Amino acid sequence: MLQAENVLFTITILLYVAAMVFYFLFIAVKKESFAKIATLIQLVGLVLHTVALICRGIGAGRLPLTNQYEFATSFAWGLSLVSLIFLWRFKFPVLGAFAAPVIILIIGYAALQSREVRELMPSLRSSWLGIHVSTAIIAYGAFGVSFVLGFIFLMREKMQNSAFWDSHVPAREKLDVIGYRSVCLGLLFLSFTMITGAIWAEQAWGSYWSWDPKETWSLVTWLVYAIYLHMRLRRGWKGRAAAIFAVVGFICVIFTYIGVNTFLPGIHSYA
Amino acid sequence: MKFGILLLLVLALACALGSFIPQGHTLDWYLQNYTERQAALIYGLALDDVFHSVWFLVLAVILCCNLLLCNLLHLPGLLARWKQAGDPEKAPNAAACEAPNQAQPEQIFEKLHMPAPKRIEADGKTSLFSVKNRLGLWGAWVCHLGILLLVIGFTLGQTTTEEYTVYGVPGQTKPVGDTDYTLTIDDFGVEFSESGGVQQYTAQLTMRDTRTGEQQSDSAAVNAPGNLFGYRVYQNSTGTAAKLTVTMDGKLMQEEVVCVGDYTYVLQTPLMIYLDGYQEDYFEQRPGYAYSTYYMGQADQGGVQVDGDIALRYGSVEISFSEPQDYTLLQVKADHYAWLVLVGGVILLLGLFLAFYLPTRRVWAEQQSDGSWTVYGESRKGGALFAEQFREAAGLPDPRQTMSAPPEASGENNETESR
Repeated sequence: MLQAENVLFTITILLYVAAMVFYFLFIAVKKESFAKIATLIQLVGLVLHTVALICRGIGAGRLPLTNQYEFATSFAWGLSLVSLIFLWRFKFPVLGAFAAPVIILIIGYAALQSREVRELMPSLRSSWLGIHVSTAIIAYGAFGVSFVLGFIFLMREKMQNSAFWDSHVPAREKLDVIGYRSVCLGLLFLSFTMITGAIWAEQAWGSYWSWDPKETWSLVTWLVYAIYLHMRLRRGWKGRAAAIFAVVGFICVIFTYIGVNTFLPGIHSYA
Repeated sequence: MKFGILLLLVLALACALGSFIPQGHTLDWYLQNYTERQAALIYGLALDDVFHSVWFLVLAVILCCNLLLCNLLHLPGLLARWKQAGDPEKAPNAAACEAPNQAQPEQIFEKLHMPAPKRIEADGKTSLFSVKNRLGLWGAWVCHLGILLLVIGFTLGQTTTEEYTVYGVPGQTKPVGDTDYTLTIDDFGVEFSESGGVQQYTAQLTMRDTRTGEQQSDSAAVNAPGNLFGYRVYQNSTGTAAKLTVTMDGKLMQEEVVCVGDYTYVLQTPLMIYLDGYQEDYFEQRPGYAYSTYYMGQADQGGVQVDGDIALRYGSVEISFSEPQDYTLLQVKADHYAWLVLVGGVILLLGLFLAFYLPTRRVWAEQQSDGSWTVYGESRKGGALFAEQFREAAGLPDPRQTMSAPPEASGENNETESR
């Protein structure tokens, strides 16, 4: 099973790269058929990615959500899933073109991590693991999409006189609302992640909140997005400012995930 | 609002600072790892213990006051908006989308998944009105309430939690801190997987109220704490213990179980012995016990005793370790406000769901003198997306085909206006 997972993981990376190439061709050549092919390849990649994760789960005899490799590949899976949902819901493939490089960067980071299957320590043997980490994957995926949308918004401003951008990318006000929606999804799931994590921590460590760097940075990320929402709703901070804020927010997400593990080890050092 | 945003920003910065500066070290440690001025600053501003500092507590209190005031001040306006959202007469003031000359307005209501519209006849005019997701108006308010309860529960918990550590081997009874309870470790076991990894640590426990003699039993395992007399008992850690035997002229003087890391007075001598560590296969497949002794409080000697030998002799006194076994370290805790934190968290999630996924929408239609209908729509948070849906439902052309509207002109702006 683990060998199958290795093969599927490699094929998944190749498919995501192929999808990115077709998305770029779509933008360069301006032919919609390339976008359709790219979306199809990304969808096949997502299916194989799912199968790879299932194989790893079966091979390891547990949920594949417990170390840097497993979380990174799941993070890429979450971003791929959320980006495809947003792409399907709002019907603009340019989103895929900007999301694909981010997915490849994250899955590339996963490929650099050790894929060794280790036995779980007792504290990780909990049914809360699946709920806590899977909600984090959706939250991170949604914030990844908000980052991509923020980036597209900023590009959209630069491409005001481009007929291609006018016809294939939603108007700025719509992009802004879609970005807001993805932040809402991310914040709801991040809150869920933090609350389920607290319940689990209480059972495993005897304390629902211990100011561990991972917990603290999850809170910082939550506060940053809470500021984004308040600025948006009360101060009319929309458009360009909101797009920049979405990009900054995702930097916090990445720091919470990679930076904390690298620079601020704590009791979450396995995640 | 400005103050609230500033407060969130300060809290985020304080949390980041607390994660970058190593917490809970001594002044000497900071002097070794930072410049003298930096160390003085860290200590002076309590940055060595940010999350338990007075200024952080003050920030938490200010946040609570801010949330409370915000909710109290917004309540009348919110109640008014709640009434207004369901009042067809107030609807025309908030139109964001408009579709004139419609023959069958009911179809637009249906396409927008609105509840069946109410037909109103007044002043000789006929109109239709439908509202959806009025509960969504309460989202932000409920969120604030959840955060308020969460912060209050957390702060009260931090200051009132009772927490004790008890460790020992099966058969031992230990006092639970300065309470009237004792904890007996009835059993302690370690479960291993087929590959030899630890799967679970489980302790069987009995807690006794020394005032009444009443007792309760439960098990405590990792991820499954025990519940005894209102205390949560957590299986926190484990280690090795050994039997310390002291004899004098061959006669048993002292026998007790000591854990690695324990200091024990040796009877009949001025010595104190400390069990440093244990190795299962130290010499010729026999375990070894590392120990140190202290004479009149001063470090004296140390060594490793192989199982079956004598550790040391002091006159006619012989001291030895034997019978290694696992001990369990338990955390006994009573956080009387954890439930409030949980309730706050659940309310917060509910509030976020209401705010994000139940956007209030109103659609209404007025019959014109020529018999045609003009349909109007408004969504608190749908903005440009709702405008697009409305346009599609009404069969109106996409304005992008004709001209590009600036963001300020979109329906999204109502989000701010209606608040």
